[in-house]
Amino acid sequence: MSLAIAGMGWVTPLGNGIDAVWERLLRGEEASATPISEQFSDRAYSAFRVPESALTGLAHPRLRRASLISRFAAAAGLEALQAARVKVDSQNAGRIALVFAISNGGVIYTKRFYRDVVETGAQAASPLLFPETVFNAPASHLAAILGVTGTTYTVVGDGAVGLLAIKMAEDVMADESLDYCLVVGTEEIDWMLCDGYRRWRLLRLAPPIEPFSKQRRGMILGEGAGAIVLTRLSRRSTVEAEGRPITIERVHPGGCYGKRAEAEKLLVRTLRDLSETEADFVISSANGTFIDQSEREALEQVIPNAITYTAKPALGESVGASGLWQVILGAQGLRRGELPPVLHADPNSSLRLSLSRVPVQGARQAIILSSGVNQQVAGLRLALS
Amino acid sequence: MVQLGSPTGEETLARVAVVAAGVVSPLGFGLAETLDSLRSARNCVTPVTRFSVAECRCKTAGQVSDEHLLAGLNKKLRAKRLHRASHMVIHALREAMIQVPEFEPELTVIGTTSGGMSYGEQYYRSLRQSKNLRHAPTWIANYPAQKPVIDAQLEVLGSSVPCQVIANACASGTNAIGHAFECVRSGRYQRVLTGGYDAISELVFTGFDSLQASTPEKCRPFDRDRAGMVLGEGAAILALENLELARKRGAPILAEIVGYGISTDNFHITQPDPSGIGPRQAMERALQSAHISPGEVDYINAHGTATIFNDAAEGKAITQLFNGVPVSSTKSMMGHSLGAAGAVEAVICLLGLRHQFLPPNINFGALDDDLELNVVANESRSAAVRTALSNSFGFGGTNASILMRSVGA
Repeated sequence: MSLAIAGMGWVTPLGNGIDAVWERLLRGEEASATPISEQFSDRAYSAFRVPESALTGLAHPRLRRASLISRFAAAAGLEALQAARVKVDSQNAGRIALVFAISNGGVIYTKRFYRDVVETGAQAASPLLFPETVFNAPASHLAAILGVTGTTYTVVGDGAVGLLAIKMAEDVMADESLDYCLVVGTEEIDWMLCDGYRRWRLLRLAPPIEPFSKQRRGMILGEGAGAIVLTRLSRRSTVEAEGRPITIERVHPGGCYGKRAEAEKLLVRTLRDLSETEADFVISSANGTFIDQSEREALEQVIPNAITYTAKPALGESVGASGLWQVILGAQGLRRGELPPVLHADPNSSLRLSLSRVPVQGARQAIILSSGVNQQVAGLRLALS
Repeated sequence: MVQLGSPTGEETLARVAVVAAGVVSPLGFGLAETLDSLRSARNCVTPVTRFSVAECRCKTAGQVSDEHLLAGLNKKLRAKRLHRASHMVIHALREAMIQVPEFEPELTVIGTTSGGMSYGEQYYRSLRQSKNLRHAPTWIANYPAQKPVIDAQLEVLGSSVPCQVIANACASGTNAIGHAFECVRSGRYQRVLTGGYDAISELVFTGFDSLQASTPEKCRPFDRDRAGMVLGEGAAILALENLELARKRGAPILAEIVGYGISTDNFHITQPDPSGIGPRQAMERALQSAHISPGEVDYINAHGTATIFNDAAEGKAITQLFNGVPVSSTKSMMGHSLGAAGAVEAVICLLGLRHQFLPPNINFGALDDDLELNVVANESRSAAVRTALSNSFGFGGTNASILMRSVGA
């Protein structure tokens, strides 16, 4: 089944709005890193945070106490629906599905809730915070804001979870009573997340992210959300709201690797399946960690001539949101016929990286490759109809 | 309405068989022990031992014995320091795969709510005390929700297949089975592993206690004097296959999944709409999806957490839809295992269908005056059970129901 993207929404450390963020990426801009500290540690980290201005105008009673992760998701989801010209009402509330991609979830409130338990005791545990610690809190807030009454799923995983959520959306849309599926990926940052990834030797203390570098100095976390509205290509008027339709030709569910060294094999298999039709460019998930090497070697083996782009040096590694961000980048590249420059990349890389703005006019196919650091890999192919 | 395929013909939809199942819960390790506990109406709720509950109202939970869980671990597994949740999923998957060693899944769909949460707790406590961080990388690596699923696949299957981990709060397990069912029913997949897992943790225990959703007393679903839930833990796996293909290859067919319904009621993040509309829609949609009438349902395994709000809303919905169908909440015996609950309860329905009995709702005194339910009170009953409905509802107003049927019924 071929699904089309009817609308997209984007909340990133470079602001919000599809075209606004895209223009900044094209200009080679990079988000500013913000220091993150914690009371009980001397160690500080850097992260790419979403500017407050990106959430201006987002007011709903349901979001009053909601965590950032839910607010990012709501902002991106509402933007995507608006772009798709989809208004949810009592007539169609059961015909719209929501699928959320989450990785670390509401870490800020989770830590705050547990901190109270540890510091003061169980009697200090907050009944207001606890529900916000649950993985599906962002999905339930957006469902309530929209009034969606049918299928709502939250899928959990690593950096590949965004594409796995799109795969699930594809499965869900086999139900012909559904008209649309809104897929949202979202993530927030906390000091503990940075510390966790650092202890796992995946995070560096300060930018830049150097993609595909042999040194593998690590990633910087980014936060925000990405959203796409999927519908069947037959709903042409909706699909064409944003110009020529971008379709999701194939989602490859990839698989799970046991050891890091096995990721490459899985990526090769995924890429081979996805590149039956020639790909004009690849949106990679390279983020300065071990996955870069796996992706580089897989790309070299399967499609060495494809132009490769990654936005992570500019926006950070947003884990649960990253797959959706990659799909948005791929769709924008196809639609606008141009790719932004890959920042901080080795100019002698064996890959065809877009080191400066690269025209890709006439491009019709793009591959999105997502390799997570927690054993999951997935890919998909986008096409410009 | 959840209806797959061509609007003109249900013949386009595949039938979906359960060809194997495995379970670990406070009721026991494996199908046989679980059946024995259900038949003898065993109360498997015990004082919490994994962390201090001195300041909590509730002091008990349904717990899986570590002694049994970790017994016989080989050196390789021991060295990995996997989370308890991984061991539960490994046990459940191993039991299922022994029944169908030739089963090659294309996809795994598993429900959970909290992954390896207790490792996150250890990490936080150690950070605060600035000590004992030697194992931090292990805790962090084993914390993610997909990890137990991948561990179990690699350990039992020897390889791993794509997995979708659904975290829809307490409805996760039923949502996972329901989604897996629809994947096979639509013809997009032939063989899918599904189920759910969750291991008890201090954070989640304290959370439910803070909401005053858990009780210092016994768990008494649908009782006039119910005072709340007790938590539990466990894992259950079901192997689903296109029924026709399963028959062709001579696979054992334990039961058929015939319907799935999902709804979102948007009333409140922790409370159901008191009208019962969310549960009612989920059950109605499951019935519509299965093309059967309420009168054909012989048993309902209720969500039945024993909280005031859940049981009132669910009881109202069941009363509105069904006429005197036997109902029980097996959470009374083993606690609420959150993401595992729907999967464990699906296995319980499977046992009821296979062995023709109704699992009991223990600790039951008198029915809530506002409800009209036929509760299977305190003892299991022999009965002709051909079709069973299992409900799971969760935070965020997410509701799910699945319908299972004896093969040939």
